[in-house]
Amino acid sequence: MSRHLWISARILALLVAVYAVRSVSPVHAVARPIVAVSSGTINRNERSEASQEYPNEARAIPVEQYASPVEMLMSPNGARLYVLCQESGEIQVLDAFSGRVLKRIGVGRVPRGFTLSPNADKLYVASSWDDHVAVIDTQRLQVIATWKVGAEPTSIAVDHSGTQLFVANRISNDVAVLNAKTGSEQRRLEAGRGASYLTMATDGSRLLVTHVYPNLGEYRTVPESEITVIDPHNAHVVERMPLHSIAGAFHVALSNDGHLGVVAHLHPKNLVPLAHVEHGWIFGDSITVFGTDIGKGIHGSVEVPLDELDRYFSYPFGVAIAPDKRHIYVTNAGADVVTVVDVSKLLAYIHAHPGGFAQNLGASAHYVTARIAVGANPRGVLLSRDGRHLYVANRLDDTVSVVNTSTERVEKTFPLDGPKTISALRKGERIFYSARYSFQGQIACTNCHIDSTFDGLTWDLEPDGFGIGIVDNRMLEDIRNTAPYKWNGSNPNIPTECGIRTEKYFWRSQNYNDRQLADLTLYIRSIPARPNRWRLPHGQMTSAQERGRALFVRSKDNFGNPIAEKNRCVYCHSGPMGTNQTSFDVGTGKRTDLSGVFDTPQLTNIALTAPYLHDGSARSLEEIWTLYNPADRHGRTNDLTKDQLNDLIEYLKTR
Amino acid sequence: MKTLKRLLEPRFLTGILCAPVVLLSGLAAQNTQTSHAPQAAVPTNPLHPLTVIVSAAPTVLYPPEAGTNAHSKAAIIAPEKNMADRLYPDGVHLLLLQAGKATPLVPEFVASADANVSFDGKSILFAGKKTSADRWQIWELEIAEHKLRKVIGGTTNYFHPLYLPGRRLVYSRQTSHGFELEAALYDGTDRLALSHLGSQGTPVDVVAEDVLEDGRILFQTGFPMGVSGGSTIRPELYLVYSDGSGVESYRCDHAATQKLGGRWGGRQWSQGSFAGDVLFTHGRTLGRFSSPFASEVSMAAPAAEYAGLTETPSGDAIVSARHTARDRFSLMLLRPGTRIWKSFYAQPGMNLVEPVVVSSRVIPRRHPTALHPWTTANLMALDVRISRDGNLTTLPSKVQVEALGASGQAIVLGTAPVAEDGSYFVTVPGDKPIRFALLNAQGRIMRAQRGWFWARAGEQRICVGCHSGPEQAPENHLPGILLKTTVPVNLSGEAEGQK
Repeated sequence: MSRHLWISARILALLVAVYAVRSVSPVHAVARPIVAVSSGTINRNERSEASQEYPNEARAIPVEQYASPVEMLMSPNGARLYVLCQESGEIQVLDAFSGRVLKRIGVGRVPRGFTLSPNADKLYVASSWDDHVAVIDTQRLQVIATWKVGAEPTSIAVDHSGTQLFVANRISNDVAVLNAKTGSEQRRLEAGRGASYLTMATDGSRLLVTHVYPNLGEYRTVPESEITVIDPHNAHVVERMPLHSIAGAFHVALSNDGHLGVVAHLHPKNLVPLAHVEHGWIFGDSITVFGTDIGKGIHGSVEVPLDELDRYFSYPFGVAIAPDKRHIYVTNAGADVVTVVDVSKLLAYIHAHPGGFAQNLGASAHYVTARIAVGANPRGVLLSRDGRHLYVANRLDDTVSVVNTSTERVEKTFPLDGPKTISALRKGERIFYSARYSFQGQIACTNCHIDSTFDGLTWDLEPDGFGIGIVDNRMLEDIRNTAPYKWNGSNPNIPTECGIRTEKYFWRSQNYNDRQLADLTLYIRSIPARPNRWRLPHGQMTSAQERGRALFVRSKDNFGNPIAEKNRCVYCHSGPMGTNQTSFDVGTGKRTDLSGVFDTPQLTNIALTAPYLHDGSARSLEEIWTLYNPADRHGRTNDLTKDQLNDLIEYLKTR
Repeated sequence: MKTLKRLLEPRFLTGILCAPVVLLSGLAAQNTQTSHAPQAAVPTNPLHPLTVIVSAAPTVLYPPEAGTNAHSKAAIIAPEKNMADRLYPDGVHLLLLQAGKATPLVPEFVASADANVSFDGKSILFAGKKTSADRWQIWELEIAEHKLRKVIGGTTNYFHPLYLPGRRLVYSRQTSHGFELEAALYDGTDRLALSHLGSQGTPVDVVAEDVLEDGRILFQTGFPMGVSGGSTIRPELYLVYSDGSGVESYRCDHAATQKLGGRWGGRQWSQGSFAGDVLFTHGRTLGRFSSPFASEVSMAAPAAEYAGLTETPSGDAIVSARHTARDRFSLMLLRPGTRIWKSFYAQPGMNLVEPVVVSSRVIPRRHPTALHPWTTANLMALDVRISRDGNLTTLPSKVQVEALGASGQAIVLGTAPVAEDGSYFVTVPGDKPIRFALLNAQGRIMRAQRGWFWARAGEQRICVGCHSGPEQAPENHLPGILLKTTVPVNLSGEAEGQK
């Protein structure tokens, strides 16, 4: 089913990646990238990019569809390994011993999480772009049902009785409780922002939820995330365990006895001016351990750094605790390694340092016992029941590494079905997710653009001075036609944004070469917008959205006075992307800004990307106008009634 | 030379790099010298392909006797003499060791030293004098063709060149106040002064030791930095980016240098179990800095005086060593972390020091300079109370900046307030020796830097605390001083706006 479309480099600037959506069927029928050639006009910026990206015209780029494994499960008898493949939208069923692919089952677009029923007769798969759960009969290895759930289902868990499913919805920030027999939704439980990963305690007494985005907080304050603890029996949230200073929490694991918990996460330093990279200046890569083994009760938690003084282990993602609780295994997705933590040494170090040691880069020497090199962008991990083997899903290698936990070496590598050639796009994606280009491997593009999106944080970049030019991190979805880039609009194209500027002020180390920059640019330009959950089918709108659209384009205010053309929403936020690609001063500048003139941001999936404005000072769309538009310079809005403002916002959410 | 040519063919170099790591594999006992280590575990191979260049001198003045302040090049303060004349009073020349034979590398020079091999293994940078009337100059030799090119030379002396990525090199240049680090393009143009220590009254020497994989320059000077003379001065290892910014101690466990002697002669390892570590001479033994550890990691090594070490392609070490000050330095092949070694080469009447293996190696990462076009620098600390020497329990009221005057005197440039969270933000003069002191509300010094450091013109840098150590990462905390103002207090000695 793989397609190879070879396209001349001279027209690559015209490429538009779109996703052809196919209906779910049991046989590998999923989202599939198609490359189409646009006949539209090339604007100046595109011409500029094209010339920079491909100086040699003879280059051809293969467009492939890769498996991109992210999660794994094993059948109870240990014979089958189920591998969740995010890009190909399928489950590949492997012989767990030989690695042979037995079956490929299409499940929907961008699946991110799955779980087995208690008796293992069903596999439930959350397809994040289709907002559904696919139910697979594990005997027939066929999809037997699809159930609609909330917005962007990302992880799924089942209770011990097999009667209730819990689905973490990343966009709606909640956990849906479904009837496991019928798929009917029984309840929604409010989680934190970006609810993404679920882990059920072995005894079924607790369900833990982690979040890829921090909860919305006050302007320029320390990011806070949480582990939402759910009582599965009563389907109630029973606790919100704070993760102080954490933004970007991924997998969470519990020991079999439930006394030790571990969550992998990022510790950003977004409030400190980014003067340099060394000494963990931009990100810390860490885990938080909690539970009664820590000695402080369930409420106690300790952040544990995984980095070293001169080497960083970027993007801790997957985590597993050995059955005998002797070791914790963490995938470092940006560093292509698995970190092994000795639990007894860790606990001893924790007890010897009751004041904490989250910022001590010399701490990991006392409890990290191995760094095991695996494939590219390792994500989910799975321990065999006896704990002797650790399976690692290498997302950007399309392989599964099998690690012998005694020797701490990769014993086997299972290749998954899919293309064997590596396209330029894929190379660009690997660059995006690899920390190897930054100084000492501390950060990758994805550190701030989680899963190629955003991080919900504001940053203090160095070039314009300390404490000056605070910027909100903008989303990368569908940005190819939104040049210029950067809030001050100073970068005319993506190669400028990601090339020398990134090398100097982010990586602080030798960048990728020109060809790699071209690959990266190709990838970034190909990042699609995820489905907009506020749009109705066939372009229909709710009445509120219709009213909001009328306000968006209106030329007279509520008092019948004409609104100057340049003060209408639609003037700056024009065109399909919601930007006229021009900078304006709309009165949002602060004393920390060198200039009040900012690039008009695109409106793509604007509902998701709080906080807002160039510096992230508006925590909601509403605050843009209720707090930061006193003189109507950011559009004429002060005449609007509350209901009208709500309508305008309802419309904006559809963009 | 034909043999050497063949050795430098790409296929041969590949073979060198791909040699399997075996315990002292390929060790050639090319000359005999007493070994104090077990021999049984050491296989020998007379066809060992290692090609080594070494400085040979009848007399060397390092490492000197313990208990003096002259533990290394950088601590030998004799400004009336240039560095090599101080170290090698009876002359020095580079030898090429190959297949058990030693030949002069550049016989047309009356003196030569300080070899450094290019990343492709085909060229050598060295310091040399063609005639005795010459100053020491930096030369490059294309080994295969024996083609010589003067890179840097003039009215002063230049030593210890190292290849940098980006077709640049770094070396020590003699100034009126000692040897300072300088960088230039391969053709000798675009010179850039990297270090800014010492004064005419207090000369200090700075010597580049290695260029690390991450692109930083490992260099050696005394500790405390910028202080000359005194019995407590010991050589110490520091880091700086190739644009001269970001100077700092490699580690801040300085007490170790007081205990065991100075640390110098650092080389980063690329193979084996020490890959990524920096190995160096520490007093009468070898030491190691390793990424996970905030302090030096002890490593087993034969007790000896060492005068340089270099890595073989298999991760073993060729060290220059002697047992006592009465002996000559010879080359030994050592497996790092063990006391197993074997003679590699010795030459009667000669000290063989600072060996380098001729082989290709990974090119370090280039540092993209982000310096601003200013004459000053902006420095911030997040919390001055944080210190490796013990956190201050009382909040200092002010921070004081001093600059080093021409005759070695400290000049107070002024003070700036410390915010409630311990942060401050100041503008300091660029490219000049400076130091900080913390003052209490009465203006008395609570803590003060003993040494000096510099900030490059156009640099913006933040420290976690005062002497917090490289192991201390910052808290994610908005510095309180930035809530008050984003304009640094100008302590540069320049008028506002002279940036």
